[in-house]
Amino acid sequence: MFEPTIIVHGGCGKISPDMKEIAIEGVKTAACRGHTTLTRGGSAVDAVVEAVTTLENNPEFNAGHGSVLNRKGEVEMDACVIDGQTLASGGVCGLRGCANPIQVARLVMEKTAHCLLTGQGARDFMESQGIHPVADSELITPRGRARLEKVLKSAFPVKEATESQSSGPSALPGCDTVGAVAMDAHGNLATATSTGGIIAKLPGRVGDSPIIGSGGYADSDVGAVSTTGDGESIMKVCLARRVAEYLEKGESIRQAAEHALEFMSNRVGGEAGIIALSRGGEGGKCQVGCHFTSDNMPWAVVSNGKMTWGIDHGQELSSPLEGE
Amino acid sequence: MSVPTIIVHGGARTFEPDLKEVVKDGVRAAARQGYDHLIGSGNAMDAVVEAVSAMEDNMVFNAGHGSMLNLNGDVEMDAIVIDGRNLASGAVCGLQGCANPVQVARLVMEKTKHCLLTADGARAFMKSQGIQPIPNRELVTQKAVVEFETYKKYSTAVEKVMLSRSIPPVTSDCDTVGAVAIDGNGNVAAATSTGGITAKLPGRVGDSCIIGSGAYADNAVGAVSTTGLGESIMRVCLARRIAELLEKGETADQASKHALDFMSKRVGGTAGVIVISAAGVSGTARVAHHFTTTNMVWAAISNGYMRWGIDPDQEESSELKA
Repeated sequence: MFEPTIIVHGGCGKISPDMKEIAIEGVKTAACRGHTTLTRGGSAVDAVVEAVTTLENNPEFNAGHGSVLNRKGEVEMDACVIDGQTLASGGVCGLRGCANPIQVARLVMEKTAHCLLTGQGARDFMESQGIHPVADSELITPRGRARLEKVLKSAFPVKEATESQSSGPSALPGCDTVGAVAMDAHGNLATATSTGGIIAKLPGRVGDSPIIGSGGYADSDVGAVSTTGDGESIMKVCLARRVAEYLEKGESIRQAAEHALEFMSNRVGGEAGIIALSRGGEGGKCQVGCHFTSDNMPWAVVSNGKMTWGIDHGQELSSPLEGE
Repeated sequence: MSVPTIIVHGGARTFEPDLKEVVKDGVRAAARQGYDHLIGSGNAMDAVVEAVSAMEDNMVFNAGHGSMLNLNGDVEMDAIVIDGRNLASGAVCGLQGCANPVQVARLVMEKTKHCLLTADGARAFMKSQGIQPIPNRELVTQKAVVEFETYKKYSTAVEKVMLSRSIPPVTSDCDTVGAVAIDGNGNVAAATSTGGITAKLPGRVGDSCIIGSGAYADNAVGAVSTTGLGESIMRVCLARRIAELLEKGETADQASKHALDFMSKRVGGTAGVIVISAAGVSGTARVAHHFTTTNMVWAAISNGYMRWGIDPDQEESSELKA
């Protein structure tokens, strides 16, 4: 038997002081929901989908409801889920009109022989599964509109739009891409990641989040990873797969995450954050941890009756979990 | 400094006997066109884009003109380029109405700060670069239509079976095209392009546009292009996996076999790869190809010499004519 464990993140970037509590509450709630799924006998896949769904439903995060807008003021979303037992995966990119892209990603994995669907095809598939499209207006928040307007009005809109959301005064501080990785009672691992992408992105821009090996990676024999940050930098170095590779070489979660982010920073630049876990802890526990090179990354872990969380560098707070 | 070398593939699948000569001719011509650019401009990126463009223009390959059709009878294409100097990359997926997706992929790399554009957004970007969309019918060949009709008849019978995750999709075509090259300055580049699987679900994206799956390139390591069952390739990040093995000190040949063996055992499915390993410590770049499908059509040129093949452990060669 293994100790069910989940870690979630709410995106990396610069989070203003007044947003920090909201971000922390968001990831803690998501982690609790995911952990409850595990303790009730759910699989690692069930847990990460539940956690990410919770964050997609939380308008404070850049996923599902609350997604940032592309240059045309539309919401286009990317998401991916990977089952570490079989390496089965489902993803969507450029998906419009969907409140919970991670659930459509799971349906791609379970109901098709494919790993990734895009655009209208993804939308048609979603409808074929009985999920009705929702209007953009249901997904867009006042903050989302304000962030877009600020970027479009700035002196160099093209440059600002393609820079990291965490950089420059034009970006309104807020939470970002969301993700979760988990280990269930059978020791199986899974990862899920979901995002609305970059503010004012070129329509059709796809980032790392739906890409196996970039936004996420999971192999029960190795580890499970979810990433967030400068999507193009993450893609160029296959960040999630790189973390897994270092775990295979025997590095700890912390070492692998630091090593991978250092490589990325040196080779292509950019900031990112990583959450990861792997089997191999003592007594059926797992190794779990995170690392980020941005100013902040809200994260929360639930395992063995305890919750641990943080948002600033070097910060780690914990408390016993109240009865589930 | 390196010896300029290019290797191209025209897909890993079972080729019907009457197709073998024409696809061999196709990869040889593409390799030659790429090699001429390698020697001319001395630029690995130019070489791989030229070689892949040649195969996109050649109706016999499943890329650009000649792409397989999705379930709606439309052509949707995926393509990627990667520059080993700085890991810059550009790609498109679900792109319609484009004769040369690899060239749009290169424009994504050079004219935007993004790595991947999809569907309508990719098409709008293509237009913004002065490339007018062309009607779907200009890309569709009789062969693609026949494959589509045959597959639809077959798939009706096995539809339920296909939904099981343990059985990969039954397809007759996994013949993506690709090229990797190293130029005289030791720079490597990779490019891959495809129309995808016959009768794929509309919007299905395979490995060909994914960094680490359909392609990978890094001057410090080498360059890879893959072809085969896209979902299997994606699930194991096949191209990045080969790069990892090269970093561990395996040869291009060892890394290719090792990675395909892992893929076969871990997720099933067959594929083919072409690899150039960076010069590294030994001072010599190595080129390799390997496939677990029945065939993979490929051609390589280096040092004024061309080698090519299609069957396992089979190779022909000749001096390059001026």
